[in-house]
Amino acid sequence: MNQAPVSCIPNSKMSRPKKVIDEAKEIQNPELDLADKGIASFEEMPGLFNMLNITRLTLSHNKIQVVPPGLANLVNLEILNLFNNQIEELPTSLSSMPKLRILNVGMNRLGVLPRGFGTFPMLEVLDLTYNNLDESTLPGNFFMMETLRALYLGDNDFEFLPAEVGQLKNLQILVLRENDLVELPKEVGDLSRLRELHIQGNRLTVLPPEIGNLDLVSSKSVLKMENNPWVTPIADQLQVGVSHVMDYIRTETYRYVYNRHVSADRPPPPKTNDKSKKISRARQQS
Amino acid sequence: MPGISMSLGNMFCSRCGDGFEPHEKIVNSNGELWHPQCFVCAQCFRAFPEGIFYEFEGRKYCEHDFHVLFAPCCGKCGEFVIGRVIKAMNSNWHPRCFRCEMCDKELADLGFIRNQGRALCHECNAKAKAVGLGKYVCHKCHGLIDDKPLRFRGEVYHGYHFNCTACGVELNSEAREVRCRPGFAANEMNELYCLRCHDKMGIPICGACRRPIEERVVTALGKHWHVEHFVCAKCEKPFLGHRHYEKKGLAYCETHYHQLFGNLCFVCNQVIAGDVFTALNKAWCVHHFACSVCDQKMNQKTKFYECDLKPVCKKCYDKFPNELRRRLRKAHEQTPKKASV
Repeated sequence: MNQAPVSCIPNSKMSRPKKVIDEAKEIQNPELDLADKGIASFEEMPGLFNMLNITRLTLSHNKIQVVPPGLANLVNLEILNLFNNQIEELPTSLSSMPKLRILNVGMNRLGVLPRGFGTFPMLEVLDLTYNNLDESTLPGNFFMMETLRALYLGDNDFEFLPAEVGQLKNLQILVLRENDLVELPKEVGDLSRLRELHIQGNRLTVLPPEIGNLDLVSSKSVLKMENNPWVTPIADQLQVGVSHVMDYIRTETYRYVYNRHVSADRPPPPKTNDKSKKISRARQQS
Repeated sequence: MPGISMSLGNMFCSRCGDGFEPHEKIVNSNGELWHPQCFVCAQCFRAFPEGIFYEFEGRKYCEHDFHVLFAPCCGKCGEFVIGRVIKAMNSNWHPRCFRCEMCDKELADLGFIRNQGRALCHECNAKAKAVGLGKYVCHKCHGLIDDKPLRFRGEVYHGYHFNCTACGVELNSEAREVRCRPGFAANEMNELYCLRCHDKMGIPICGACRRPIEERVVTALGKHWHVEHFVCAKCEKPFLGHRHYEKKGLAYCETHYHQLFGNLCFVCNQVIAGDVFTALNKAWCVHHFACSVCDQKMNQKTKFYECDLKPVCKKCYDKFPNELRRRLRKAHEQTPKKASV
């Protein structure tokens, strides 16, 4: 299946990337919008790496396959958006960008992250949604990003989440929607500032009681946990609402249920998400 | 006074030594004899008025000269001290003039203690020592205040010297001084009220320290506050007239309100200064609200979709692969309608 929505748009309506860059240079615009320009390579954007003044670079909906290390030259870049490209690897240099706060590499074909990826000095929002990542391909220092306040890992292939996630003490948003998670580490309960937890569409049967430490039911909080093979008592509470689940997992009764469930060590439920049609897999299919 | 039992031949005047004529008057005083003209004041040589004389070292003086020459003057009233003389503090005193300088008690028969140039009775000396130890002395009775002092018009008193201006009850140190004219700095107008009456007068009480507020009053959260006591519930710094934010009965400074209650912009992570755009459990500066996929600015009227509680413009949503849109649509149908976007 060929997924190329850009090609449908008539060329006349599209200004060429070079023209956009020249205009931005002329008016000293620090925000560069290059979304949906049919760009396949950074070579189509000559002079881009010399625009040291730019603070935002948006390249979503293109066909970029390779991100050159030279992109890290843009030392003033705060927002880098590469959503919906065909990137399989990121350069190590990206992690050294001194001002990068928001990095969106969602909807690409990332199967690995470079070594030392977790050294971003300022990163606040990291969007890795809709890739091919799992726990075995996360670099060792991934959870060292103390400044991170939002981590989007939805639509990936995680079966386990490393316990080190508890180090992200500023994390407010954690999205794990539609992975293959079999369990959550109890360290998620250490994320005291967490106010959004998305774990719907996984293979979870129980929640560690430590999740009860979190405030996920206030008016400013969200807990999404549907579409999991929950044990009956949790499933029953979920019928009435997530606040009932949170109340329930704080009880002694649940602690007993949980311990018994963990010690029984049953085989995890089977994978149910059919990912064969994900465009992040496009290369393997073609 | 004529001698009767003695013979004239061996009687001689005590002053001039001469004998007496047979019919001459003779003055006899305690067995000594004088010619009447010789029985005079040793100082002024005049007869003693009404026969009263004072004798000192073998000589006789009229009252006046005796006082002038020998009698002590009282250190307090300056009068001659006749009779009992109190010699103390390098001076002479009438017994009734020598008193404790603090309590005015006569000291003649009680004894006294010299305290920094003052003669004090034993009790007052003990009190004076206590003052040196940091206690208060009542401005009215000069007695030591053992309990807490009552402060009034800049001085300290025993509470029991005063009565409540309103109900007349005897006061204690709990009494409250009330400024008659608020904002008027001088305190001669101040009056005292007992705690009960004070509380009924409607003088604002600070919600933090529970003391009356006599200067500027801040009214917030349904209470009154001293300006310096109205503080951020998080950092405890006073607002001092700066804007505060209320939440669940507590007040916060701008920074901590937003830090605690999430009105930080999702994009710039700064406190939202102007209008707030609220959606998807998040907030944005109006100019930072944009599609999370293509970063195009959006406004209230822009139709957008939701993916992981991030806004996605219609153009971008339409570019999502079909299988993802199908899943998103399904999830959206499952969620309770109250959470609709």
